[in-house]
Amino acid sequence: MKDIQVPSGKTGSTKAYHDLRSFLVTLEAEGQLVRIKDEVDPEEIGAAGRASANLKNGPAVLFEKVKGYANPVVTNVHGSWANHALMMGMDKDTPVKEQFLELSRRWDMYPVGPKRVTNAPVNENTVTENINIFDIISLYRINTYDSGCFLSKACIVSADPEDPTSYGKTNLGTYRMQVKGKDKLGIQALPFHDIGIQLSKAEALNKPVPIAICLGCDPITTFMASTPIRYDQSEYDYVGALNNGVPMEITKSATLGLEIPAGCEICIEGYIEPRVRECEGPFGEFPGSYSGARLQAVVKITAISYRANPVFENLYLGIPWSEIDYLMALNTSVPLYKMLKDTFPEVQAVNAMYTHGIGVIVSTKVRFGGFGKAVAMRLLTTPHGMAYNKIIIVVDEYVDPFNLEQVMWAMTTRVDPDKDVSIIKNCPGMPLDPSSNPPGMHNKLIIDATTPKAPEIVSRETELLTPPAGTAKWEEIISQLVKAARK
Amino acid sequence: MICPRCDTDKVELLTKSPVGNAWEMYICNTCTYSWRSTETPDKTDPKRYNAKFKIKPESIPNMLVIPPVPPLKA
Repeated sequence: MKDIQVPSGKTGSTKAYHDLRSFLVTLEAEGQLVRIKDEVDPEEIGAAGRASANLKNGPAVLFEKVKGYANPVVTNVHGSWANHALMMGMDKDTPVKEQFLELSRRWDMYPVGPKRVTNAPVNENTVTENINIFDIISLYRINTYDSGCFLSKACIVSADPEDPTSYGKTNLGTYRMQVKGKDKLGIQALPFHDIGIQLSKAEALNKPVPIAICLGCDPITTFMASTPIRYDQSEYDYVGALNNGVPMEITKSATLGLEIPAGCEICIEGYIEPRVRECEGPFGEFPGSYSGARLQAVVKITAISYRANPVFENLYLGIPWSEIDYLMALNTSVPLYKMLKDTFPEVQAVNAMYTHGIGVIVSTKVRFGGFGKAVAMRLLTTPHGMAYNKIIIVVDEYVDPFNLEQVMWAMTTRVDPDKDVSIIKNCPGMPLDPSSNPPGMHNKLIIDATTPKAPEIVSRETELLTPPAGTAKWEEIISQLVKAARK
Repeated sequence: MICPRCDTDKVELLTKSPVGNAWEMYICNTCTYSWRSTETPDKTDPKRYNAKFKIKPESIPNMLVIPPVPPLKA
C-alpha cells in the first residue's frame, strides 16, 4: 500500500500508514529495521527482542525464516524513540517531549471517523475448518517460564453485549493471550479493562463475547489498542486523529462481521466462552516480573483470515525498558495529561512512562498551598490512574517531567518528608504489580516536590538561579566547535 | 509423557511443525503448559523444571479467578 502524504500543523509532511508492511518499508529505509535471513529457532526471537531493546534506538527485527514454520516474524517495531517518532511521521531524532506535545496536539483532533473499505487483503484467505493456528502464525515462547506461546501485541476487537451495534462501545484493546490449542486461546481480561466490562455483562446473561483478534496492524492502531480512553470513545476515531487527520481504514471481519483494521496481517475470529475459567500463565509481564498462574477466560477460535505470507508481529516484554515501555509511554501520558488539564489548566505536562503509569511525574503551576497534592489526588480519580498510578511526583511548571535529572533536583530541594509525602491507604491497584497486596489493591504515595506557596507557611524564600547572560551564545559556539572536532 | 510443570500424564500432541519435521509441540490438559520438543531441558524435563514454577494439580481449583464470574441474571 502507498503511504499517504498529508500536510501537518507543525512538523512538515507526515506519513500515515494503513498497514504494518508499509511502515516496515519506512523503518528499513531509515535504518530502523534489520532482517535476519538465516533460519532461526522459534525460541531465539524473544532473546532478539530483548537484545534490540537494550540498544540505543534499537531497530525492529524481521525474521524471514523461522524453523518449522511457513511465515516471518517481526518484533521491536515500536521499541525505540526513533521508531516511535517514525510512527508519527516525524524525524527519527525528535526529542521525547516534542513527540509528547505533537501527540497532545493531534489528540484534540478527535474524532476523525474511519473509512470503510471492502476487499481488504486480510480477507483473501479464510480457514474455518480443521483450524490450526500454528499453520499460519509462527508462535514462540517469549520468556523462559511463560506457560506457553503468547500473543503479546494483538489488537482485539470486541462488541458490547448489550449494545452490539454501537460503534463507540466497540472496543479495541491489547490483552495477553496464551495459545492453548490449535483453536483455543486464554485471555487476560482484567475487571477494570473495557473487555472486562463487556465480559461481565455477557457472562451475567450466559452469552459468549464475539471477538476478532487482529495481528500486525498499522503502528498507530496498535498504539491506540494499548491507550486508555473512555469506554464510549472509539479507538478508530483516535487513530484518525493521531494520524494527523487521515481516516483509518476498517473492514468487516470475514465471518462475524466485526469492524476490524483493514490493513492487519491476520485476523483470528472467535468467542470468549461465558463463565469458563482455566489455568493460565505465568507470563513475563510489563512490571518486569512473572505474573502468577490464575484461572482466566478462554477463547474458542472459529476462523482465521490472513494476507498472503502474513507477518506475525509480537513484542518482547521484560525488565524495563523493553518494547512494551516505548509502546505504552506517551499513550499513557497524553490521556492522563488531557484529563488533568481539563480540570487544572495549570498542568504543563505529564510523564506517565514508568511501568504503564504506576509511576507518574506531573509538572504544574501552583496557585496556592496544597495545590500540588490536589493535582495528584485528581490524577488518582481518573479511570486509568485509579488502578495504575501508585507513586505520583508533582513538580513546578519550570521542571521538565521528562528530564529525570531535573525531577531529582526538585525532589532533593523541595521535599520536606514530614509534610510533603502522603500515603493513601487501601486503594485500587494493578494486580500485575508484584507489590500489590492482595493483587488488585495497593496504597498510594504522593510526593509534592513543588515550591511552597501561601497560605502554607513559607519559612524560607527560594530565589532560583538563572543562566548568566550569553549562555545561549556560548552553547551555540561550543556545539559548533564540538561538531567540527568530530568531523 | 509427563508434564514438566505439574507432573501429570494428561499430555497430548498439540501440533507438528507445519514445515518439515522440525519439532512437535505438546500440551498438558491439567495445567495447560505447552512446550516444543526442541526446547532446552529446563522447559521440557520434569526433573529439570524450575521448582518455583512447578504447579500442584490440586492447587489449580483454588487459584485466583480473573475476572470474577458474575451472578447469572434471571
